[in-house]
Amino acid sequence: MSRRLLGVAVAAALAATVTGCGSGGSSSTDDTLEIWIRQPPDSDSAKTAQKLADAFTTSSGVKTKVVALFDDFETKLNQQAAQRQLPDIVINDTAQLGNMHSQGWLQEVDKAALAGSGDLADRAWQAAAGSDGKFYAAPFSAQAFALIVRKDWREKVGMEPPATWEDLTKLAVAFTEKDPDGNGRKDTSGFVAPAGTKRGYASWYASSLIYANGADFLKPNGPGKYVATANDPRFVEAVQYLQDQFCRTKTVNPGAVSNDTTVTHEVFEKGQGGIYLVGPYVLARFVKSVGTDKIEVLPVPKGPSGGPGTLGEGENVYLMAGSQLQDAQKKFAEFAISAEGQRIGMNKDANGAIVRLPVNRTVDMAAERQDPRWKVFQESYDFAVYAPPVPNWAPIRQTSADAINTVWADCSADVKTAMEGLNTKLTQELQSQKAS
Amino acid sequence: MTSTVTRAGAATAPPRRRAHRVRWRGPLVAWLFLAPALLLFLYFKFIPMFVGLWKSLFKVRTFLGDEWVGLDNYRTIITDDVFAAAIWHSVVLALGTTIGSLVLGLGLALLIEGPARYLWFVRTAAFLPVVTTMAAVAEVWRIMFHPADNGMLNVIIGWAGVDPQPWLASEHSSLWSIMLMSVWRGTPYDMMIFLAGLVGVDRTLYEAAAVDGASTWRRLRHITLPALRPVFWILFTLAAIRGLRVFVEVYVLTNGGPNNSSEVLMTLIYKLGFQKNELGVASAGGIVLFLATLVLTVIVQLMRRRQAA
Repeated sequence: MSRRLLGVAVAAALAATVTGCGSGGSSSTDDTLEIWIRQPPDSDSAKTAQKLADAFTTSSGVKTKVVALFDDFETKLNQQAAQRQLPDIVINDTAQLGNMHSQGWLQEVDKAALAGSGDLADRAWQAAAGSDGKFYAAPFSAQAFALIVRKDWREKVGMEPPATWEDLTKLAVAFTEKDPDGNGRKDTSGFVAPAGTKRGYASWYASSLIYANGADFLKPNGPGKYVATANDPRFVEAVQYLQDQFCRTKTVNPGAVSNDTTVTHEVFEKGQGGIYLVGPYVLARFVKSVGTDKIEVLPVPKGPSGGPGTLGEGENVYLMAGSQLQDAQKKFAEFAISAEGQRIGMNKDANGAIVRLPVNRTVDMAAERQDPRWKVFQESYDFAVYAPPVPNWAPIRQTSADAINTVWADCSADVKTAMEGLNTKLTQELQSQKAS
Repeated sequence: MTSTVTRAGAATAPPRRRAHRVRWRGPLVAWLFLAPALLLFLYFKFIPMFVGLWKSLFKVRTFLGDEWVGLDNYRTIITDDVFAAAIWHSVVLALGTTIGSLVLGLGLALLIEGPARYLWFVRTAAFLPVVTTMAAVAEVWRIMFHPADNGMLNVIIGWAGVDPQPWLASEHSSLWSIMLMSVWRGTPYDMMIFLAGLVGVDRTLYEAAAVDGASTWRRLRHITLPALRPVFWILFTLAAIRGLRVFVEVYVLTNGGPNNSSEVLMTLIYKLGFQKNELGVASAGGIVLFLATLVLTVIVQLMRRRQAA
C-alpha cells in the first residue's frame, strides 16, 4: 500500500511540474511583425516574400520575421491558434478565408480605411469577403487557370491550338498515340492531372472545366444562402468529359487518380504528358526546366453547354486575430497591395512570383514581365470564377474531390448518379454551415 | 561494506524506523529513475490522450473557444459510410501485413539462423528496410509502383509475361499494393525477433530428434514452433497494433484513394481534422481507434493466457 502511495505522490509531483511548465505560454510582446506564407522554405517564392518584408521594413521601420511553411500549413496554424499565438500576418489562399474566419482567426478589414484600397480590382476584393459580406483580408495576388501545353509536341503531331473541348480531346489523343517525343515508345499521355484527393485536388482540377461549361458547385439563394448545383447537367457534362479522358480515350497520365500537384509537376517536367491545366505559378519553373521554346499557354476552351470560365484563385494578406501589432499589420497590408509591393511580389519573369497577377490596377503587368505567356493568364482572369463566400469552403472542396475522384478511378461509375450523391452531401454541408 | 553503514546507523536509530526506511528506499530509487521518462510520457502522451478524449465531446474552435456537443461527434463518425469502410480497410491491411510479415519473417529467420561468419552481413542488409524512415520508403515505392509499362515493378513482372498492373492507381489493387510494401518493410523486423527467439531453443532437443530420425519438417513443427510461441504472441500484438495505426505509407502513396479504396482510420482522422478542420470529430475517431486497439490487445492477451494455462 505504501509503495502505491509513493507512486501516486511521484506522479502528482510530476503533474504539478508539468502543469507549471505548460502554463508559462504567453503571447510575444516584442515589436517584430511575424509573417507566415504558404511556400516551401528556402524556395524562390520564400525568397521573394523575404524581399517584400525587407522592403516593408525599409519603408516603415517595422521589424519583420518571415516564416515560410508549405506542408500542413493550416495544421500548424491550428497549433498556434490553440496556444493563442497566431502569427500577425498570414499570406494564404483565398479559398481558405471561410475556414480561417469560421475559426475566429481573422480580423475584419476596414476597406475604406486601408490606404490604396481603391486601386484594387473589384473581383479581387470579392475574394476577400466573408459570408457576411464584410472583408476579412486584403487581396494580394490573383490567378486564373489556363492550359500549359508542350508546343513542340503539338507542332510535331501537326495540330492547331484547341478551340473546343472536342479539339482538346483530339490533341490529347494525338499526344497519347502519335509518339510526340519521338522516342519510338508509347510512353506519353495527353493530360497530366493532380486527380488525387489531398487538399481537394480532384475538385480543384475539375473546377476550371466545370466553370468553362457554365456550371458551378453552388448558386446564391438570398443573402448568405446557397443551393448545391452539382447535379446540374452542365456540371455532370464537365465531370463526364474528364471521366472519358480517364476511361474511354485513356489520355490522362497513369497514376493521376492518386497524384497531388507536387508529383504532377514532375510528371509534366519529365515529358510524360503534354497538357497541364494549372495556374501561372508554375510557368517560370516549367520554362526553366522544360525549355522556353517548348512551352505555350492556351486558354481553357469554352464548354459545349456554356462558358467561358476558368478557376480564379489567389492569395490574400490576412490580418490575424490576437496580434499586439495592429497598426503594423495594417501598414503591411497597405504596403503589400501598393504598386511597389505588388511589383516586388511579381518578381518579373523569374521563378518565385508570389504575386501571380497583380490585383493593383495601377501596375502594368506587361511593363514588368516580358514573357507574353503571362498575358494569356491575365486575359483568362476576366472570366475567372472564385469560390463563393460560404462560411467554410474547405469541406465543400474536400467532399466534391472525394466524389469526383471516385468516378475517375472507377470507370464503371455513373457520373450522373455520383453527382446526385455529391449534391445531397453538399446540401447537408450547407445546412451544417447554416448557409442553405 | 553496506553492513558497516547499517551497523553505524543502528546505534542511533530505533529498529522500527530503520526497517521502515529500508522498505521505502528501494521503490523511491526506482521511481526516481523512472521520473524523467514518466515526465515525458505524461506530457507528450497521457495528457494529450485525455485532452483528445475531452475534445471529442466538443465542436473544436481553437481560437473562439469550444462548443459542447456531447456525443454528436461519435454519432457523426460512426454513421459515416467512409468510416465503416476505413475500419474494414484497416483490419484487412493489419491482418495482411501481420500474417505476411510473420510468415516471411519466420522463413527468413530459419534461413539465416546460425553462427556462420558471413551471416552478420546478410542480417544487417535484410534489416535495412526497418531503419529507413517510412516516408522515404513510401516515396521510393511510389516511384516503383508507377503504373505505366515502364514502371519498375511492371518491368519486373513483365519478364514473367505478366501484363502491367495499375498498382496504386486502381481501387481494386491500391490496398494490396500498400500491403505489399508494408510486408516488405515489416518482414525484417519480425525476422530479427524470431532470430532472438531461435537462440533460446534448446539445441539438445534437435539432437535428440535427429537421433530419433525426425525429418526437418517434424523438427520444425514439434520443437521450433512450440518454442517460439511467446515470440509469436508478442509479434502478433505488436504487428496488429502497428497495422491498425498505419498512416505514413497510405498518406504518401494514395492519401486514401482512389475512390476511398485505401482509406484507413488514421488517414480518415487526419483528413477530418486537418483538411476539413473538424477536430472534434477527428478526436472522436481517435478515441474509437484507441478503443479498438485496446480491445484487440486484451483479446490477444486473454487468448495467450488461456493457451499458457
